[in-house]
Amino acid sequence: MKRLVTSLGKVFGPLTKLGIRPQIAVLFFALLFVPLFVRDEFTLRLLITSLMFGGLAMAFDFTAGFINIVNFGFAAFMGLGAYSSGLSVLKLGLSPWLGLIFAALLVGIVGFGLGVLTIRLGGIFAACMAWFVALALMAVTANWVDLTKGNSGLSVPPLFVTIRNMPYYYTILAIVILVYILLAVISSSKIGLAFRAIGQDVVAAASSGVFATKYKIINFTISCCLAGLLGGFYAHFVGVLTPQVLHTRNTVEIMVISYVGGRGTIWGGLVAALLLVPAMDYLKGLLELRLIMYGAAMILIMIFYPRGLAGLWTSGADYLKRKGVLPDTSTVSVSKGKTGQNL
Amino acid sequence: MEMLQQSWDIIVTAILRGGLYALMAVGLSLVFGVMNIANFSHGEFYMIGSYFAFFGITEFKFGPLPSIIFAGLAAFAIGMIVERGVFNPLRQKSKKGWLMNTFLLTLGVSIIMQNGVRMIWGSRYRGVTQFWPGRTKIFTSMEIANDRLVAFIIAMITITLLWYFLTYTRTGRAIRAVSQDETGASLMGIDLNWIHTLTFALSCMLAAIAGASLLSINPAFPTMGVNPLYKSWFVLILVGMGNIWGSIYGGLIVGLLETISIYRFGAGWQDVISLIIIILILLVKPSGLFAKKGVKSVLE
Repeated sequence: MKRLVTSLGKVFGPLTKLGIRPQIAVLFFALLFVPLFVRDEFTLRLLITSLMFGGLAMAFDFTAGFINIVNFGFAAFMGLGAYSSGLSVLKLGLSPWLGLIFAALLVGIVGFGLGVLTIRLGGIFAACMAWFVALALMAVTANWVDLTKGNSGLSVPPLFVTIRNMPYYYTILAIVILVYILLAVISSSKIGLAFRAIGQDVVAAASSGVFATKYKIINFTISCCLAGLLGGFYAHFVGVLTPQVLHTRNTVEIMVISYVGGRGTIWGGLVAALLLVPAMDYLKGLLELRLIMYGAAMILIMIFYPRGLAGLWTSGADYLKRKGVLPDTSTVSVSKGKTGQNL
Repeated sequence: MEMLQQSWDIIVTAILRGGLYALMAVGLSLVFGVMNIANFSHGEFYMIGSYFAFFGITEFKFGPLPSIIFAGLAAFAIGMIVERGVFNPLRQKSKKGWLMNTFLLTLGVSIIMQNGVRMIWGSRYRGVTQFWPGRTKIFTSMEIANDRLVAFIIAMITITLLWYFLTYTRTGRAIRAVSQDETGASLMGIDLNWIHTLTFALSCMLAAIAGASLLSINPAFPTMGVNPLYKSWFVLILVGMGNIWGSIYGGLIVGLLETISIYRFGAGWQDVISLIIIILILLVKPSGLFAKKGVKSVLE
């Protein structure tokens, strides 16, 4: 067992240096083969939704867990991406794939603009401003009927000319892998260190020469850009868009997933989504009770176990290390050795 | 003359609308100032108040005013339970990242309350046709339903009572002391736990009174709290966090913005217009219109 882990450590060593967790690499590798075993279209669809929420939760965690700004309008940025991708295909005649990129760029630009204007406020103010913008966006989508068809819903052409879910599965898996690698690499780089410093103490970070506003804007823009990309995927996957996509309810859902996963870990949100989304679907028969359990779980986790699933994993791994089952890998951990560097 | 008449109508509507936003926002502001909690379950207490007023009238056969008071007291009790059950345990455990953690806790409370109500009472609308039948004219071409007028008066009386309580009673002063300096207040022998519970319960009561007195205009249903919630957040952000009395002007300003935009651009666009104006104001004056120096920092 020990030898196996050590040799695996050699394989994953370079990855870990980049900030990519071995357990997530294994997870992605396993997910690649899922469609070979799962023939059921419904299960596959559920997995696609879970992966999508996983991607959104990771992008959300990138701002909430690192620079400590809760983007309370997150679903609206995703919805903006969905609508802009859908409308660019319908009105400008772009291909859906270009629509995805267009959505990511547009939402990134909007996020950048909002970041420049509001992010210096920090804390709950920035959260509320993002929320207000989200509410305004939702009201615009509901009322600008000529463009968005309002509450009756906008039909969006699909990405593939097939009714099967397999191609969508691989598309979203590729997107989520890219999102994870991007976020993991950034957050374990020097920039990520700056993000963490800002998240823990803005004043201390600023006094050690970190230009807080600049890093906050970079972070916010990246997160919004990814929300737009995933929103674009959502549009072409589901096929019908209503203003409800932009609803705060969805922000709360993404938020719960990312917090249950564990703050400031990136990968926690993905794992939580893969567990929570199917669980919620499985419990559909419980109606309201399901959502009450959801709320209660959130409160209990916040009070008694704020580190979330990722914290559980870390404690488990530490326990195994103490027992000698796993070798101590802290020598390859990135967090050590880098803390002393100047930014 | 026509013009003058119209603008007078708009102002009257705006004041009536804004008075209740002010009542909601005062409660929100109180909790933010004293407990440093950004309460996103405030709308749910508005909803609860509405339901209790309905049951007060239909089940217990109270008159209109006793039902509203009953709703306020019931929400006070529920507020105490929520504070003791949710925020107090977290406060005992850790105060790290308090603002963001409690913000999420309030979202959890909101989910539970909304769905709990839906589970117990279903999602159908429950309303009464009228509390106080009849309409009144006040120097204006249009008639105003008595219910709206009385709701506004109730809001103003409640705010005045709150002002009296906070300014002249011992407990009220203790609440203000805690909002200024928690450590200092506890050194003076103020029981922080009790003050926090009381403040939260009071704030819930204010929201419930707002919901209850509007029952004949907005019937009770599980998700009715969302709109008042974000209206009161507009007010709070617009006037600056933790400024309790500014919320009154803020409520009127938001009421005016909304009434004018409904009048000029049609229903549906009022949120867009008032949000754009609020965002523009905040870009010029980020800490809010009437931000006081020395209130708790918004930066965590």
